[in-house]
Amino acid sequence: MKEKKKRNSFREGAIPAAFIGEAIAKHSSKTEIGAHSIFLGQVRNDIIEGKEVKAIEYTAYAEMAEEAIYTIREDAFSKYQLTCMHIYHSLGRVATGEICLFVFTSSKHRRDAIDACNEIVERIKKEVPVWGKELFEDDTSVWKVNT
Amino acid sequence: MEVKILAFGKIADVTGQKEWKWQDIADTTALRKKLEQEFPALQTMKYQLAVNKKLANAEVGLENDAEVALLPPYSGG
Repeated sequence: MKEKKKRNSFREGAIPAAFIGEAIAKHSSKTEIGAHSIFLGQVRNDIIEGKEVKAIEYTAYAEMAEEAIYTIREDAFSKYQLTCMHIYHSLGRVATGEICLFVFTSSKHRRDAIDACNEIVERIKKEVPVWGKELFEDDTSVWKVNT
Repeated sequence: MEVKILAFGKIADVTGQKEWKWQDIADTTALRKKLEQEFPALQTMKYQLAVNKKLANAEVGLENDAEVALLPPYSGG
């Protein structure tokens, strides 16, 4: 069994804007970085059969999800010239307008940071066992389908 | 022998439970058959199986204490 560095990419509830700001600030000492790329996923107020989504409740197959993120991370580090990378995904309830996914890549030059960030986001949606349930104001819900 | 079954998302709504154990299931083909007998709604639903956290796209034999997860299409992010 390959030695795996265990990280926790999952956060209970929304990812606060202040947390994102602090994550950026922490990189000011890494002066070899010339470019950051950031993706923020925000819960949208979709209208489904006339009802407006108020929140999404996320669940995950936690251990498999961490392994999937680990693989995505290692692949990105081998494919792109990255100085560092951070991935955070919410679990539990996140209200519309709040942040549920934060991907942050840093590199010497913009192209690697941007391309890696895009690829990581696409792969998270396809390969990580997480499910979102869209909750409506009347306490009904529907399982989200990724497009 | 005994296998642990975990259901997620929409699949857990159909099975009505998130975790249970079944005895004497040789492989993933036999498991799918039993699942679809017990929960006929699964016959028309899309889901993948993961055995011990690895996706099982082909038939996989089940050892004692295997953990099999029923995974509907992911919708994270």
